[in-house]
Amino acid sequence: MNPPSLHPVRAEQLRLQTRRHFLSSAGQFSLGAIALQTLQGNAFAATADADQPLAPKRPPLKARAKRVIYLHMSGGPPNLDIFDPKPALVEQNGKPCPDSFLKGRTFAFTSGVPKLMGSPRTFKQYGKGGLWMSDAVPNFHTVADDVTLLRAMHTDQFNHAPAELLLFTGHIRQGRPSLGSWATYGLGTENQDLPGFVTLISSGTQPSGGQGCWGSGFLPSVFQGVQCRSKGDPVLFVNDPPGMTRDLRRATLDALKDLNQRQQDELGHAETVTRIAQYELAFRMQTSVPEVMDISRESAKTLEAYGAKPGEASFANNCLLARRLVEKGVRFVHLFDWGWDFHGTNPAEDIRDGLTKKMAKTDKPAAALIKDLKERGLLDDTLIVWGGEFGRTPFREGRTAGGSVLGRDHYPDCFTVMLAGGGVKGGFSFGETDEMGFAGVKDKVHVHDLQATILHLLGFDHERLTYRFQGRDFRLTDVHGHVVKAVLA
Amino acid sequence: MRLRTAILTILVLPLAKAEDPINFSRQIRPILSENCIACHGPDDKTREAGLRLDDEVSAKSNREGDIAIVPGKPELSSIIQRIESKDPDDVMPPPKQHKVISPEQVALLKTWIRQGARWGKHWSYEPVVAVKVPANGEANPIDAFLLERLKKEKLTFAPAADRNLLIRRTALDLTGLPPTPAELTRLAQASPTELVDHYLAQPTFGEHWARGWLDMARYADSAGYPSDPGRTIWPYRDWVIRAFNANQRFDRFSIEQLAGDLLPNPTQEQLIATAFHRNTMTQNEGGTNDEEYRTAAVIDRVNTTYAVWMGTTMACAQCHTHKYDPITITEYFRSYAVLNQTADSDKADERPTMEVIPPAQKAARDAAQQRLTQAEAVFAQVKPTWLTGFDAWLNSKAAIPEKKLAALFAAPKEKRTAAQVKQLQEYYVRNVAQETKPEREAVAQLRKQLTELKPPTVPVMQELPAPKQRKTFVQLRGNWQALGDEVTPGVPVAWHAAPAKGQLDRLAFAEWLLSPKNPLTARVQVNRLWETVFGVGIVRTSEEFGSQGDLPVHPELLDWLAAEYVRSGWDTKHMLRLMFTSRAYRQSSASNPSLNERDPDNRLVARGPRFRPPGELLRDQALAVAGLLSPKMYGAPVRPMRPASGLSAAFGGSNDWTTSAGEDAHRRSVYTDTRRNSPYPSFTTFDAPNRETCTLRRDRSNTPLQAFVTMNDPVFVEASQGLARRLLKEGPTDMTGRLQYAFRLCVARAADAHELKALETLLQRSLATYRKDPALAAKMATQPLGPADKGADLAELAAWTAVAGVVMNLDEFLMRR
Repeated sequence: MNPPSLHPVRAEQLRLQTRRHFLSSAGQFSLGAIALQTLQGNAFAATADADQPLAPKRPPLKARAKRVIYLHMSGGPPNLDIFDPKPALVEQNGKPCPDSFLKGRTFAFTSGVPKLMGSPRTFKQYGKGGLWMSDAVPNFHTVADDVTLLRAMHTDQFNHAPAELLLFTGHIRQGRPSLGSWATYGLGTENQDLPGFVTLISSGTQPSGGQGCWGSGFLPSVFQGVQCRSKGDPVLFVNDPPGMTRDLRRATLDALKDLNQRQQDELGHAETVTRIAQYELAFRMQTSVPEVMDISRESAKTLEAYGAKPGEASFANNCLLARRLVEKGVRFVHLFDWGWDFHGTNPAEDIRDGLTKKMAKTDKPAAALIKDLKERGLLDDTLIVWGGEFGRTPFREGRTAGGSVLGRDHYPDCFTVMLAGGGVKGGFSFGETDEMGFAGVKDKVHVHDLQATILHLLGFDHERLTYRFQGRDFRLTDVHGHVVKAVLA
Repeated sequence: MRLRTAILTILVLPLAKAEDPINFSRQIRPILSENCIACHGPDDKTREAGLRLDDEVSAKSNREGDIAIVPGKPELSSIIQRIESKDPDDVMPPPKQHKVISPEQVALLKTWIRQGARWGKHWSYEPVVAVKVPANGEANPIDAFLLERLKKEKLTFAPAADRNLLIRRTALDLTGLPPTPAELTRLAQASPTELVDHYLAQPTFGEHWARGWLDMARYADSAGYPSDPGRTIWPYRDWVIRAFNANQRFDRFSIEQLAGDLLPNPTQEQLIATAFHRNTMTQNEGGTNDEEYRTAAVIDRVNTTYAVWMGTTMACAQCHTHKYDPITITEYFRSYAVLNQTADSDKADERPTMEVIPPAQKAARDAAQQRLTQAEAVFAQVKPTWLTGFDAWLNSKAAIPEKKLAALFAAPKEKRTAAQVKQLQEYYVRNVAQETKPEREAVAQLRKQLTELKPPTVPVMQELPAPKQRKTFVQLRGNWQALGDEVTPGVPVAWHAAPAKGQLDRLAFAEWLLSPKNPLTARVQVNRLWETVFGVGIVRTSEEFGSQGDLPVHPELLDWLAAEYVRSGWDTKHMLRLMFTSRAYRQSSASNPSLNERDPDNRLVARGPRFRPPGELLRDQALAVAGLLSPKMYGAPVRPMRPASGLSAAFGGSNDWTTSAGEDAHRRSVYTDTRRNSPYPSFTTFDAPNRETCTLRRDRSNTPLQAFVTMNDPVFVEASQGLARRLLKEGPTDMTGRLQYAFRLCVARAADAHELKALETLLQRSLATYRKDPALAAKMATQPLGPADKGADLAELAAWTAVAGVVMNLDEFLMRR
């Protein structure tokens, strides 16, 4: 990052100044860098640098995954109609929900005594591991041997926003760093010409948890997710304004560098060196970002495999983009897809036809992503997570029970999350819920446990990846979380 | 040992020689706090071996032959034995804690014990004491304190900053706007006090200083949570701006915000002030429990109050007794009980709210109301000439919306009484008669006017009447449904006592916070002022004055400032005047490698302050030098240009907006519509918080995404087009003269020969490109600013736009230095 025109000795001197400046002057920044050094030991110190807070860092423990693609189905997919067959519930279909399941509980949109609802879908076992899946996910059937299903996931929250924030920041209210921020804070990123943490949104609406789901909270803001878009500027303001040519942009940056460098020589401010570097990086990103975001460079076969179409803002496009991004060294790619809140208030939220249609647009690209990464040899060290923020009730939702559309209410006690690649087992099912799908009965996994496990796969002890803020060492898992060792390959 | 502590120790404490008396608060307590207090501290749930090292009695008491600290005898003190133990089962802190006490720290502990182990409170809990100003010839006490310290370090102040740079620095720091060329001329000979007073008197002062306060108040124009609907609360934002401009005493300013409604005969302004705590978020998502989110709002109010006024993180004590500071969970909920008595309850309509009638609007409203009354009075006397069509109407099948009248209308003619006929006639002349059309239209018009003058509302704090007051219980593990013992309102015992009379209400609580006996409030607030002016606080962790925060780098100066603040009657402008007229502030900010190495944060203030201002200021500055900035103050939020996201809020409307018309697109950033779920993108890129919760200190990152904003965001492109047009219109006709004008406008200095040459080369090169391609030139010169003057040379404008863009991306333009 040193400007090439500088004499090497002087450049080194500046680098040191800048680094020192970084370590001790940039407020919270310094705390982070040092906390990290403390936890990583001396070997680590060599890589924390002011100009490059995102420089790649080696994690303290053995890492199984180098990068993460998180596919979030915002709203809460109906686990009982996808991954968790309940023949007993089918037998009880239409009967009043037993009081024991309702007593002392509150549901988002259901009061009184709702009717039990067995899944109208057909379940079969797939792959060598005999994983149960319904006919809603024909494409997931084909990757059954590559995935682990966590079938007794649970959370504390039954409303979308707090549940999503708990899942992605470890806390129910805004203000904490997100999973992707923690990952990039700990690991930096491998390609300095691209953001280290990228967010992609599909189906037109941002998740309930809002930007907090990819925010950096109290971590330095360089660690927040950068929202990339498949329409418009791929990164906000990355494109030169109309009337500015690439040649002229280069000429303006040359003039700027010249003038800034003279200021630096005269006034000796290390931060000026950083600014010069950031403008040069911005210039490179102007090429690298549109390039990586341009899926028209993919073969027709690949586009077809994902169901992606250049120019659209779809989940399929985003899955393909996720592969392109991790291939180029992006550390964490977080996809959010809207429209998984299957209450039954309209046909799109019906667990029969509505779910089939939603899945047609999403299970194909998600399965294609797993296969594509595998073919390219990237699946071994790329962790893919698929899931929602909670599950759905074994009974029919109260408000819509009189209609013809079948829907379920929010349910925090049981849901399924699918993991693939990045050091987790294939064809493996972990955890069981009771015969009606009301409670986890074996190998339950709390969202904090999932977080601890993801960090573990990335090479971190979740209790030691901390950041000092307002006098306290914070971590993603707060004071909770256990690594789910059983899923490790 | 943490490196940060190492640097601080070097900077803060000249290494203690054996004979130097050790200061417990500053040298010992931090070591205990960092390494021991989590298990040997206030929290009895996690306390090990019954030992407290935050408590003198416990630390020095004999527990079955084991005494942690034996004054005068380090070798007998078990704390030293355990720290130095080689046995992994015996050594402290336990290896699994991953904490290490360095040999230097152990030496310090031993010396302190040998000297008698004198105890003390945490430094910031000790009362502010009157400190004697060092007599070293400096007139300004700030300089006197700083110079004493600099002398110890064998340093001194830097030479004074260039006059124009000082004017720019002062203008940016006080008003958030660059100086105009006229000001540079007018203030060239002004004394330091005249210079400061000029900018303190500008109405733009309040607009600039409100911003930091609004971060703390978590002010936003939307309610937050997923759907994030709009919220009308801008009269509060205007109140803050006016309060800064009026230099309201900080204690009144605070008390009105916390409890203005409980003051005797509160004014409209005092009620608006209470919206401070109505900036908490409101949850409108279907299926959520109002009480749960009301509880969340009260918790936010407790945390925000202690953070803003006492620099104390209370959030820890919400779930368990604080592990480091002496605040118990019960005490937390006693404070909660104080703030738990307001009528608001997470309702979508934000009730209770109050109509805010600005004085100017009040006259207009009264006049319109009077005209309406007069216009309606005309119908009281039904003129016979209006009734020519009355009978025909009675026989028609007209539909009448009013039920009673409809019945009369339908009744047979002969059954109607005279009074009833009169009623029908009145209805007829007011609504139907052709003859009254002009009168009717006049009334409709006036009604419409009055509706348009409908005053804005603002959510306010409103205390519940005594019979309706809520009971407060300790909430266990932070769970609003898991309730423990009932608690009464009160304050933590670690601090000064609350007034004894009656039950502690919000007003008494606010007065307690602003009491001169409070050791924290004045220190916290002057430190915040210092941080805003000098870039880093005297206590770096301006958000945390508790035992986990940093120590003050100039403790005597901090106490002197705090005492002066209270003595002056909490006079904020007085404190700013002191800082801005100090020699320390007026120094050149130029640095050098040795100073960078020694004091990278400039905490010793051996040079002038230099740092990157917030994104709001950068936008305002760009609009100002471009001649685009609207001076219009106050009122409903406005919507400047922002890129479309194509996204909606969860369960809410579109995140995108239509740019405000006319000058509203170019108002100061403080008036920008602040949406919590879709904050203004360029501000976010420059580290603005989303205003969901209280933010006490912003990050100052330096990223390539910021370069994108100032190079390519249409707002900044438009500003460079504006600056280009201004240079050609107002500047001299020669290229050099225009470049010099650009430098004077943007960085308040003259360009040197090298700079002129570089920019002239760029200008010629750009001109060549744009001469060849008129369509390209037209885009560069006019999108998005709009058509240039008739006959303008678009290629020339385009080339100057490129050059203006460079000047407006100079490091020194993006820094206040």
